[in-house]
Amino acid sequence: MKISTKGRYALEAVVDLSYHAKDELESLKSIAKRLNKSKNYLEQLFVLLRQNNIVVSIRGSQGGYKLAKEASKITAGDVVRAVEGSLAPVACLDFSNKEQCCGDYEKCVTRVVWKKMMDEISNVLDDVTIQDLKDCYEKMNKENIIEYYI
Amino acid sequence: MKLSTKGRYGLRALVDLAVHSYKGHQPLAQIAERQNISEIYLEQVFSTLRKNGVVKSIKGAQGGYLLNEEPKNITIGKILRILEGDLSIVDEKVRSDSEEKSVAYCVYENVWRKIDENINELVDSITLEELVEDYKKNHGLLPNMYHI
Repeated sequence: MKISTKGRYALEAVVDLSYHAKDELESLKSIAKRLNKSKNYLEQLFVLLRQNNIVVSIRGSQGGYKLAKEASKITAGDVVRAVEGSLAPVACLDFSNKEQCCGDYEKCVTRVVWKKMMDEISNVLDDVTIQDLKDCYEKMNKENIIEYYI
Repeated sequence: MKLSTKGRYGLRALVDLAVHSYKGHQPLAQIAERQNISEIYLEQVFSTLRKNGVVKSIKGAQGGYLLNEEPKNITIGKILRILEGDLSIVDEKVRSDSEEKSVAYCVYENVWRKIDENINELVDSITLEELVEDYKKNHGLLPNMYHI
């Protein structure tokens, strides 16, 4: 039961974007270079992030990306859901897929376990904002600089 | 992010076995029929479960499977880790590759590690007995049927 690289890379890229695109737009090329990821792959993810109103883009030579709203208003769950789709560990938890259930939907006892697992995943993802992750990164790197100069 | 059929079918089959084992050894064919799962597939799953001491088997005409322990002593976490491997949401490699002071490190520490902890805590807190009781309730079976 693993989260795909889509969810992981998207989350890292959005945190990196929030840290570096302060007043100006940030290019995917720079993000990809810093995170050591393929720019083409990030491009596909950013299409989904843009569609889900997590980032906005401006085209052109001065173009690039920035967050569509404040970092404190975007949760890790928003980002991961935008690129991964459902967080359900089994298909029958998606309401639209009720017909895909393997047995009696109402009486299934294992479905309840999978539902609780999904809730644990959602709870963590919805509790952490991009601001929290950016703060973590900022704090670690600030400490680094102070240590270096003292 | 999906569970494999091994974990899904395996858990269902074990609940079925626990519910019906008051009648004695349960042939896989019957579990397979009741749960609408391929018997050949269940054979693989039960072979893994037997090697890990969750079930025991008797060969022959009256043969079949029984749980090796009381359902109250078997956690869902134990079953799923046997069938699915570790329940971590990211590979071990992601953790070791997350250099300190990197964005990946912050994401790992604040998101993936927490999810792993919560998931493992959850599945270790649920026993097979609880699912058996839920099953009986949902199917209108007497709660004490197992003990007869």
